[in-house]
Amino acid sequence: MPDSCCPFCGLVCDDIRVATDATGARAESPACARAVRLFPVPARGTARIAGQAAEPAAAYRAAAALLKRAQRPLIGGLACDVTGHRAALALAERTGGVVDHMNGAAQFRNWLAYQDGGWMTTTLSEVRNRADLIVLAGTDTCRFPRFFERCLAQESQFGELRRRLVVLGSGLSPEAAHSVSPDLAIPLQNARLGELCGALRARLAGRRLAADSVAGVPMDQVDALLEMLRAARYGVLVWNAAELTFPHADLAIQAMVDLVKDLNQTTRWSGLPLGGNDGDTSAAQVCTWQAGYPLRTAFEASGPHYQPLLFDTARLLETREVDALLWIAALDPERVPPAVACPRIVLGRPDMVFADPPDVFIPVAVPGVHHAGFMHRMDGVVALPLQGHTPTELPSVAQALAAIQQEMNHVAT
Amino acid sequence: MLRLKGGRLYDPEHGVDGQVRDLYVENGRIVAAPGPETRIDSEIDLAGRVVMAGAIDLHTHIGGGKLNIARALLPEDHRADTVPAMGDMHAGCGHAAPSTWTTGYRYAEMGYTACFEPAMLPSNARHAHLEMGDIPMVDKGAYAMLGSDDFFLRLLASGSDQRLINDYVGWTLDATQAMAIKVVNPGAISAFKFNARNLDLDEAHPHYGVSPRQVIQALARAVHELGVAHPLHVHASNLGIPGNADSTLATMAAAEGLPIHLTHIQFHSYGTEGERKFSSEAERIADAINRMSNVSADVGQVLFGQTVTASGDNMSQHRNHRHASPDKWVTMDIECDAGCGVVPFKYKDKNFVNALQWAIGLELFLRVSDPWRIFLTTDHPNGAPFTSYPHLIRLLMDRGFRNAKLDEINAEAAAHSQLRSLEREYSLYEIAIMTRAAPARSLGLSDHGHLGVGAAANIVVYHDDANREAMFEKPEYVFKDGQIIVRDGRVVKVVNGAQHAVKPEYDKAIEKPLKEYYDRYMTVKMEHIRVSDDEICACGASKLIPHQCTGRRA
Repeated sequence: MPDSCCPFCGLVCDDIRVATDATGARAESPACARAVRLFPVPARGTARIAGQAAEPAAAYRAAAALLKRAQRPLIGGLACDVTGHRAALALAERTGGVVDHMNGAAQFRNWLAYQDGGWMTTTLSEVRNRADLIVLAGTDTCRFPRFFERCLAQESQFGELRRRLVVLGSGLSPEAAHSVSPDLAIPLQNARLGELCGALRARLAGRRLAADSVAGVPMDQVDALLEMLRAARYGVLVWNAAELTFPHADLAIQAMVDLVKDLNQTTRWSGLPLGGNDGDTSAAQVCTWQAGYPLRTAFEASGPHYQPLLFDTARLLETREVDALLWIAALDPERVPPAVACPRIVLGRPDMVFADPPDVFIPVAVPGVHHAGFMHRMDGVVALPLQGHTPTELPSVAQALAAIQQEMNHVAT
Repeated sequence: MLRLKGGRLYDPEHGVDGQVRDLYVENGRIVAAPGPETRIDSEIDLAGRVVMAGAIDLHTHIGGGKLNIARALLPEDHRADTVPAMGDMHAGCGHAAPSTWTTGYRYAEMGYTACFEPAMLPSNARHAHLEMGDIPMVDKGAYAMLGSDDFFLRLLASGSDQRLINDYVGWTLDATQAMAIKVVNPGAISAFKFNARNLDLDEAHPHYGVSPRQVIQALARAVHELGVAHPLHVHASNLGIPGNADSTLATMAAAEGLPIHLTHIQFHSYGTEGERKFSSEAERIADAINRMSNVSADVGQVLFGQTVTASGDNMSQHRNHRHASPDKWVTMDIECDAGCGVVPFKYKDKNFVNALQWAIGLELFLRVSDPWRIFLTTDHPNGAPFTSYPHLIRLLMDRGFRNAKLDEINAEAAAHSQLRSLEREYSLYEIAIMTRAAPARSLGLSDHGHLGVGAAANIVVYHDDANREAMFEKPEYVFKDGQIIVRDGRVVKVVNGAQHAVKPEYDKAIEKPLKEYYDRYMTVKMEHIRVSDDEICACGASKLIPHQCTGRRA
């Protein structure tokens, strides 16, 4: 099927040719290596209870029993489509559970900055048509293989752009990722990006800095960079929160978005937060419209309770504040659940392999391969229709969760 | 069959003004009085009760990307109004940017049975339908935003034939499952992307050279010629700027007699008189509406307290960000299509500007003489959350109450306003016009907004309480499609609403240049912008209600 949508990264490229035969689906040109790897999925899978093959009905019953015994389950992972997210939230509400996405740590670096000060951002087609200066801050966008091809193509509707590319950070190689060389690369530790942006803001405001260098960058280079930023007609500052893995990265992001705001006093600039892998944008969107909060929300007797720091998956599991984990990973078989002390239920791709089998494994269909669905692109604006390419008897995430809820009505505690 | 016996009916579509009548309901519809042979299965005695059709809000930001931006931005606002799950009702949050579930419950609890989201970006249409799919209880619809999208501006700038523009507008309505077309700060959302900070009605767009006036004229004509019931829905230039009344009047004139709806006109009725260079031009604006029968408006009343402003007008929202309270705000440039801006706002009664905004809105309500052409809105959540409608109705119906409130606001603003001299009090009949009959007529919803035979049995029953706020806050019964969904102001049955969309006739050949444009410049395919009929139910609506349009080809 031509022009199919790919659910396997936050670009949700919608120009993929998907071929099907008896063995399943295959992504063809212009798919990236990631799509080529993830489109083929077995049509069948085996439900397992404690590693032993089981009938799906028995697996649903076992999952229901575990959830019924739990005081506060974590409905985690959440790598699926909008319909799956709706079902996951319904189950969280029913069980008094808490929800967080497998990419929550990255998402909340952004949300903390966002909820403190807001930001100015843009979307992929704007970048493609308007951006004359792109600053990659702490990322070379390699986790989004077709980013340059899709969003920074030469031709724009406002005439050919002479795009300039600046790379800030360490260990970055847009040459390797996309075969493009930056016009300017300033090596610095990613953890010091906030410091550099703070200095740029200060200089933009006309303040003098009593230092020879900031974040290891000589002051004359800081000023030269600032001149480039000011001269842009439509600048875009790109970051990927998942790659900003140092403590308090939310503050670095805040410094970046504040710089973007300040630059808008005289010219146009926007931020572009990369993300959206594993359906994380959809998960946050659905939870926000249904509950008011972008995940990390517990459904308590008094209503949704939001804790952007405390309801972090790793922390909840480590402190044993949750006593069961339901892990949804319908997109990438490598995203197995963390090893934890509490009971684990996994709704995963049929080709998921466990070193340490969960209490219950329910193989589920892959949205965008086995069944139709909806998924948001990283910018949160464009929700794309996923297509079903190959038939399967596997349940969708939503169907499996509905079956578990159904069983919960019958299971004795 | 159900008989609703002896209520006092306010049904302006049929000129019924408080007459005592029986209503009969069968299969979700209002039916004619049956013969003696028909069995009445149940009967409710409504003696002394006020009975109206379900209310319709034709301008309320209930779903779509910018609302989710506002929700995510304001956890502190939700915490003060946390809503637990109860029975079939989902948990959520209320107040300024309520969750979808809570939006539906609270609208129903006030007697509303249909709500229209006025700013759906075509690029965001599928998301908007997904959000609206999770708004229960009420029927829904959305207006597609055009006028700053590059494809349209290219058509206009290249002097395209009006028929081509009509086809594009028709395609947009069809593809996004929209009910009407809205234009927001015409051309200016695009101009902001070229670093313009203001765009007057006759100013040339910095890239395309076309003016907002041309945008309005082309779109108003397209909407009219396609036969879409609701006129072009216009958020005019210069929102919030003192002195903008001139451009608002010029915008009305720009329609050149074609139907035009000016939205949240309170924010566009400002003068520059007085020491603070901020004054009311409500009288001049209202006089113009009274004079021009092609013009309708909704008010966008400001009421005091914390809220959040969410708008497609990123140019104005960026200008206003210094007023953000709490101090955080978001703007976005979106997909060569549109934009948005979200700025939390706290309207204070002791603040001169806010107090005068409040008075200007009320003045507009009271000075526009024809309730069929002025609609009750707060531009939820921009002027105030929709839950403040009962309070607003009391301000309109009760002069003593209004003047008492006037005594509380900033004294200088009160002294500047002529509100105290306005003696008008809205009648129940007029309230029924502006919240039921008129929006239904404006949207072309022939079986909504009235109590005639064949109408959807969306019926609201109120106690006739002299305190109109208490009365409108808590209907005794709300029927949706014949079922009791609310008793004594509380949801008793959760239902799902339908999605309304117009289906105009247009030449599908427009897809050829449009597809070329998407393939060449966009990061999404034209085919994937289109939301199919089947998707509407997958998104969550109970069904799609298509409305055919009779074109008026030039």
